[in-house]
Amino acid sequence: MPLSSSFLFKGLSESQLQRLTAAVNEIQVQKGQWLFQEGKIGDRVYVIKSGAVEMLTKVNGEYELPIKIIRSKGGCFGTSALVPPHQYSLSAKCAEDATLLEIGREDLEKISTEDSALGCAIMQNLAQHLLARLKETRQELKIHFKTLFRSMHT
Amino acid sequence: MQQTNQFQMEQQSGITLLHIQGDITAHSEPVILEAYKKVDEQETAQKILIQFEEDAYINSGGIAVLIQILAHTQKKNQAIGITGLSDHFKKIFNMVGISKFAGIYNTVEDAITAMS
Repeated sequence: MPLSSSFLFKGLSESQLQRLTAAVNEIQVQKGQWLFQEGKIGDRVYVIKSGAVEMLTKVNGEYELPIKIIRSKGGCFGTSALVPPHQYSLSAKCAEDATLLEIGREDLEKISTEDSALGCAIMQNLAQHLLARLKETRQELKIHFKTLFRSMHT
Repeated sequence: MQQTNQFQMEQQSGITLLHIQGDITAHSEPVILEAYKKVDEQETAQKILIQFEEDAYINSGGIAVLIQILAHTQKKNQAIGITGLSDHFKKIFNMVGISKFAGIYNTVEDAITAMS
């Protein structure tokens, strides 16, 4: 599976993708296995080759609220590792047996430093993705406000 | 990626069954509200059973949409049940308190028996 199918690596040239592919490690994970926990140091980014991964956030330390499931080939997660303070903003749990491609943050930073155009393209793709996520979060907030206002005015 | 949802309605034993296809997220709000509006126009709107697809994923945005629907049903004294949830989501619905306002059933048959 080419890395170009991931939003994070969209628009990169063949040679840039080849350099990244050389830094990729393929891993197998089983359903139920945790990949990382929210708040922990983010040292790698993952791309789904097959299977599914669920992203969750802990509420009041009591339960894990479902945020997203990534089922598509090329689906990318763990991207908060790429920006300071390099902490995962969500937890990731394998929802179906999966084959993942992992890329270490330090490797990615090294390649980005050597090829600033590649680094710039990745950051632009990441910003676009985060903007879409922000828009969805705002939409969710609006739904909660509508429910709240309706209950206050009836 | 933005998901699209579809819904179908049917009547069974004085209950309006609302089948909802697809993952439920904040983007599902217009479709779910439209579905509820249509259900609310039915004579059997006092008892509503929402049936999700077994592999449907319901995220925090989808839970917000369901809470919005539950607020409507509470206001109108409508009984509401939910079926088609995986064990994962049954557990989550219990934890977030949705099960206090809606009956959670394993099958449509169980729901109809309990809600009739």
